[in-house]
Amino acid sequence: MGSPGGSPPPLLETRELTVVRDGHPRIKDVSMSVEAGQILALVGPNGAGKSTFMKALAGILPGQGEILFDGQPAADLGRRERARRLAYVPQHSALDAPMLARDVVAQGRFAHRDRWGRASAEDRPAIMAALAATGALLFAERPFTRLSYGERRLVLLARALATGARILLLDEPTAALDVAHALSLLHRLRELAGRGHAVIVALHHLDEAAEHCTGAILLRQGRVVRAGPVGEVIAAGPVREVFGVNLVPGAHFGYRLPRVEEEGKR
Amino acid sequence: MVVDVDVTLTMDGTNDYAEPTPTMKIAFVYAVLVALLLAAVGLALAVGHGQLSDPALRSTLLELRATRVAAALLAGAALAVGGVVVQGVFRNPLVSPSILGTTAGASLGGQLSLLALAWGAAGSTIPAELVLPLGCLLGAGVSLAILLVFCRERAGTLMLILTGFILSSLFLAVGGFVTSLAQDQWDLSRAVVAFTLGGVGGTGARQVAAAAPFVLVGLVASWAWSGTLDVLISGEDEARTLGVEVGQARRWTVVWVAVLTSAAIAVGGNVAFVGLVVPHALRPIVGVGHRRLIPAAALLGATFLVACDVIARVFPSRTELPLGVITGIIGAPVFLYLLARYYREVEHG
Repeated sequence: MGSPGGSPPPLLETRELTVVRDGHPRIKDVSMSVEAGQILALVGPNGAGKSTFMKALAGILPGQGEILFDGQPAADLGRRERARRLAYVPQHSALDAPMLARDVVAQGRFAHRDRWGRASAEDRPAIMAALAATGALLFAERPFTRLSYGERRLVLLARALATGARILLLDEPTAALDVAHALSLLHRLRELAGRGHAVIVALHHLDEAAEHCTGAILLRQGRVVRAGPVGEVIAAGPVREVFGVNLVPGAHFGYRLPRVEEEGKR
Repeated sequence: MVVDVDVTLTMDGTNDYAEPTPTMKIAFVYAVLVALLLAAVGLALAVGHGQLSDPALRSTLLELRATRVAAALLAGAALAVGGVVVQGVFRNPLVSPSILGTTAGASLGGQLSLLALAWGAAGSTIPAELVLPLGCLLGAGVSLAILLVFCRERAGTLMLILTGFILSSLFLAVGGFVTSLAQDQWDLSRAVVAFTLGGVGGTGARQVAAAAPFVLVGLVASWAWSGTLDVLISGEDEARTLGVEVGQARRWTVVWVAVLTSAAIAVGGNVAFVGLVVPHALRPIVGVGHRRLIPAAALLGATFLVACDVIARVFPSRTELPLGVITGIIGAPVFLYLLARYYREVEHG
């Protein structure tokens, strides 16, 4: 895993990606790339095109321009192949049936099954590992619809991990979560990036992006205003330009998970 | 507050959840379902007009009863599985082939094929036994095709049910016209009416044999698509990202629904509520996963219709009660109860 010497193509790259909906470009000429180990934040005001961009990457919305997986055009890959490379975690699942959390995670194995839908030998270990890695094992046998938002988010993340995809897209994963659950989720994303995943995450809270992401893309009205290392994007100038608010130096109001705090002291 | 960021902490929970009960429970449920089906079939062979103890009548009676048991069994399994599949495709537990107008479409197709047979338009090229199932298949297919055109990907419950209602009304109206066309031939009009009401009493062995392959193909194909249906349950967007070719999946599963519904209508006539009640009754027991639900629905659907047919035969009335009347009288209140329970559960999360 990781990139050895030379310059192999990035895990995921877009070139002038444009998505037109109802006659209006929702995102326009977005070019970016992401490597293993990176966590890329998508930030911007409501309606900036964060979700649209993610849905285009996930193949839910059609777009113009290029999407490349390891340098290979997405158009050349079938749906299954694409599903094995990129996993999408929606903000809310449309699932409204009382399916067991374990079976929701098992959906992630669909692209690994043969034509007749037979389970492969790797299915069960992959599902268990995904449940364990997200902490969703504790409620694996409970119906999805009976879980809290935070728990559902973890199950959806586990489903994404079960696909075996190295690129993870998460649409506002911390929205509607309390600080502890949000932090815990962001820590899991960092762990995953540490294990060679490339993570793209839409975030509303700039402090979360600044604290946990390696890079950021600031969008406004579907266009990239600033992109690069997170410190350069979540900075006074671009934030004032896009959001019309001033970043207050030294006014950062942060949270830590107790265990991480202790490890830091050691 | 302590949050489990630590993976090893949650890994410790593994042993608590490595219980084998789900598989054992499912095996038990299947065993009960098979036992119920066998009991219903046994009862259906033993009960009815005429004495089995009379050696002169015994074999004839058994043969007649076996034919109608087979018809009820096939129709019940097909309708129940058709219900499961259509609920999966439209992601809505409140639809069924009868609610979506598929049954009415198949029924109209059947009526038209009866007319075609009587007027000798079709008999020449296609074997007579196949004309009825093929007519039903055509009707069901047309009905589902119209539904797919009008109810695009994100159609809500209301749109689905209203479209189904309008399609049913349309097919019933045309069916009324067909029945009136048949009025001048008493035999034909009686056959059309009997077919429309639903019943396995007049179903011949050759008819059952002609429809059986349709049912079998429909059941096996539906089951083969169960993995896809299990992903589609999370909505089309998510299914796409998980690797499902959504358009293809919808078209094929709908074809199997048409095959199942039409075969059922061809042998059992027009029987409602089986596709609605059976999946609803089973989901709390076997779960929402289609791989387990589809075989269970086939078993319970078959049992339900065989049992309804027994009631139709033993009910003290001047003539035999039509099967559709029994399933309607049992099915409608049961469905209302299930519906109320479903909405209670939805409201309370």
